[in-house]
Amino acid sequence: MRKRVVITGMGCVTPLGLSVEETWKNLLAGKSGIRPIAIFEASTFPTTFASQVADFDVSKFTRQPETWLKAGRNVRFAMAAGRMAMEDAGLAGGGYDPDEFGIYIGSGEGILDFISLCECTLNGAGPDGKVNASGFVELGITRYDPITELEQEPNMPANHLAAEYGLRGPVFSNLTACAASTQAIGEAVDLIRTGRADLMLSGGTHSMIHPLGVTGFNLLTAISTGPKDEPWRASRPFDAERGGFVLGEGSTLMVLEELEHAKRRGVKIWAELIGFGTTADAYRMTDIHPEGRGPVAAMRMALEDAGVRPQDVHYISAHGTGTTENDRVETLSVKKLFGEWAYKVPISSVKSTLGHLIAAAGATELMTCVLAIRDQILPPTMNLDHPDPECDLDYVPNRARRAKVEVCLSNSFGFGGQNDALVVRRYVP
Amino acid sequence: MHRRIAITGLGVVGPAGLGAAPLAAAVREGRSAVVAITHFDASRYSSRIAGQAPEFDPAQGLRKDQVRYVRKTVKVMALDIQMALAAANQAVLDTGLPIGDANESVLPTIDHTRMGIVFGSSFIPTELEDLVEPARASFVDGRFSLKGWGSHGFPHMFPLWLLKYLPNMHACHTGIVWDCQGPSNSLTTSDAGGLLSLDEAVRILRRGTADLMLAGGAESRMNPVLQLRYSLLDRLSTANDDPAGACRPFDLGRTGQVTGEGAAVVALEALESAQARGARIYGEVLGSGTSTHASGINTCDPDGRGVAGAVRRALKDAGLKPEDLGAVVAHGTALEMHDKSESRGLATALGAAAPAIPVTGIKGVTGNMGPASGLAELAAALLFLKDGQVPPILNCTRPDPEPRLAFVSGGPRPLAKDIFLVTTNAIGGQTAAVIVKLYR
Repeated sequence: MRKRVVITGMGCVTPLGLSVEETWKNLLAGKSGIRPIAIFEASTFPTTFASQVADFDVSKFTRQPETWLKAGRNVRFAMAAGRMAMEDAGLAGGGYDPDEFGIYIGSGEGILDFISLCECTLNGAGPDGKVNASGFVELGITRYDPITELEQEPNMPANHLAAEYGLRGPVFSNLTACAASTQAIGEAVDLIRTGRADLMLSGGTHSMIHPLGVTGFNLLTAISTGPKDEPWRASRPFDAERGGFVLGEGSTLMVLEELEHAKRRGVKIWAELIGFGTTADAYRMTDIHPEGRGPVAAMRMALEDAGVRPQDVHYISAHGTGTTENDRVETLSVKKLFGEWAYKVPISSVKSTLGHLIAAAGATELMTCVLAIRDQILPPTMNLDHPDPECDLDYVPNRARRAKVEVCLSNSFGFGGQNDALVVRRYVP
Repeated sequence: MHRRIAITGLGVVGPAGLGAAPLAAAVREGRSAVVAITHFDASRYSSRIAGQAPEFDPAQGLRKDQVRYVRKTVKVMALDIQMALAAANQAVLDTGLPIGDANESVLPTIDHTRMGIVFGSSFIPTELEDLVEPARASFVDGRFSLKGWGSHGFPHMFPLWLLKYLPNMHACHTGIVWDCQGPSNSLTTSDAGGLLSLDEAVRILRRGTADLMLAGGAESRMNPVLQLRYSLLDRLSTANDDPAGACRPFDLGRTGQVTGEGAAVVALEALESAQARGARIYGEVLGSGTSTHASGINTCDPDGRGVAGAVRRALKDAGLKPEDLGAVVAHGTALEMHDKSESRGLATALGAAAPAIPVTGIKGVTGNMGPASGLAELAAALLFLKDGQVPPILNCTRPDPEPRLAFVSGGPRPLAKDIFLVTTNAIGGQTAAVIVKLYR
């Protein structure tokens, strides 16, 4: 009999709120986190808006805020989400064996000082466009701070959290683009099932709302550029007038716990993680296989791992980015796996209001599945005014909906071809 | 009972050359590959020495259609990614699995949906040349400005710029070239990335999600940005006058880390099926374990608790005791804080058995290859231990007496048992240990 894994704590910092309940309330109300970019001067960029965390101050969530002065937004969000998750699980004051408590976080980069990078580069650049490292370092040595540099490395959120709580179990951080935190949680489940840890703090944290992040996605024409005057309408998954995804930022972290361990502690159990599927397209760098080969296989693997049939699934949290390719292939994939049931199972994309939290997206979406199970209500796909004819499933358009929700499937697909799916179920003893 | 896991393919790109064999030979012969930096003008850097990888072809040995893909796509691959792909190609070719004809799948005897990858990689800094034109065009009133970047600089960027540097592109391109449709993960855990990848790949094989896994690690720190970063962090040796003697793991005269670069990949499959197909088996993964320094992002546990935890877990996973080990291949970067933490952790975990277990390391030869470290060391050890000798740690002439470990110094020591331990750890971060049985 394999070990069962349950969720006993959740915390988040998102553009829709600085807590689980606030985020959920705003999500159900259809509020949008998308606003003109305030984090840096983006007024002349092709995309001028993003879904941003507002009024956030890490010092409200931690005893030693000075430790994070040089850290990126990813680290600060994770410290806050981690604190809330630990408190929610009744672990913030200790009471755990640190050797049996690990971390697995899908996390992105910290924020680099882009202006200094460009100026130092030009200091070493010759007329031929080549950069002499001597010129670069001559200015760089006066501009760069060692800890700020170190904070850019993507394992910093995990390392800070390990130090903050003294955690000594397996500590992983991964970055498989938009699939990262779904994959992180899935592998964290495996670490508990295989007895490597009793507890895992797992999820994602990311902010790509920085000059190079927006530049990179604009160059790939992956993100929406309008309407600039009504940016909350820019994220339109499954809608015929979609124009790409909208960048978001934030962190969702969960305490995952081996069931017997949770029972011994007598804590509240949010839900049980019963299935994980992970595959790769092995097709192209950014294009999804047109037949949905990888997504179908990942969802199938997750359902098989969970021991449930397609008709047992009450809700699918879509990857639903709002790019034509994603929306169509995801729709096709669900149809391939679910057959007739595809038309009966509601599927929605919270990216319509939250934006795309990249490495933090999957964990945040899994959290909404857990809350849907608790409250028996489905979050809507907003801005779905003119459905794409190729996207003809029930996307829960524009209004939250009461529904029976016991088993949910949460999908994440990433640039580079990773496909990950999790199945979460109401906890039944 | 776990599914037993065999290592059937090795691939290395690194300062000692292309392949695991040249690295093993350099270690055995005590030949350092650390040289004065030539890949960029390092004259104004405090540390001007490194282990540099030689020229290589990321399409070497591939089938025509694979070669076509690599040639077409290589412009979207930063150096780290090219090295990773080259090492992965070596490892797959080394498994001896038959390569299909042009009209067949590339590995026709395997199920491609059950072939996966876990790679240890890093967030790759942009090549500075990519920014020159756009940054020049971004000047407004004689100053670089973000407004200028958005309106004028931006269009000069290479359109696929972002994809060239993403840390999951090592696995992505490798997966496309070898049609790996199973799990694909990319771990960003610095020096520990390679062995953590192996740990995860082994768990994926054990849980039955895949039959063939590539575990890898790759990074090039040989660039102006990272050389500056690690200089500022005071991690790098400034023994510029003696490159070959600069990296001195566990030596009392240690001078700090030396930058290295490279990639290492091992192919893992179920022992049973490897034996059934008559594969050459380098060794068997008996167990692995991971933990962490919980000490803050820029330090290591002074008492080595993180390393000790990983080693204890690996022993437990393998069902072994310290006295079952014939050798240790340590991370040993030659930075005092890093080395001390590791050696104290080893001493704690090995306990009374420690004096009888020779401890070696290879960074005197290569410098620190980052996430490629652990697997390069594993791959090399599978070859250099075959003749029953544990080679000395290059440049460890006066082994640090505290804690007392059996550092191999002066000449080789006999390998008493065919089971060895490999360890890595990232400063301020993850620790990992793997136990392997050598097949001879």
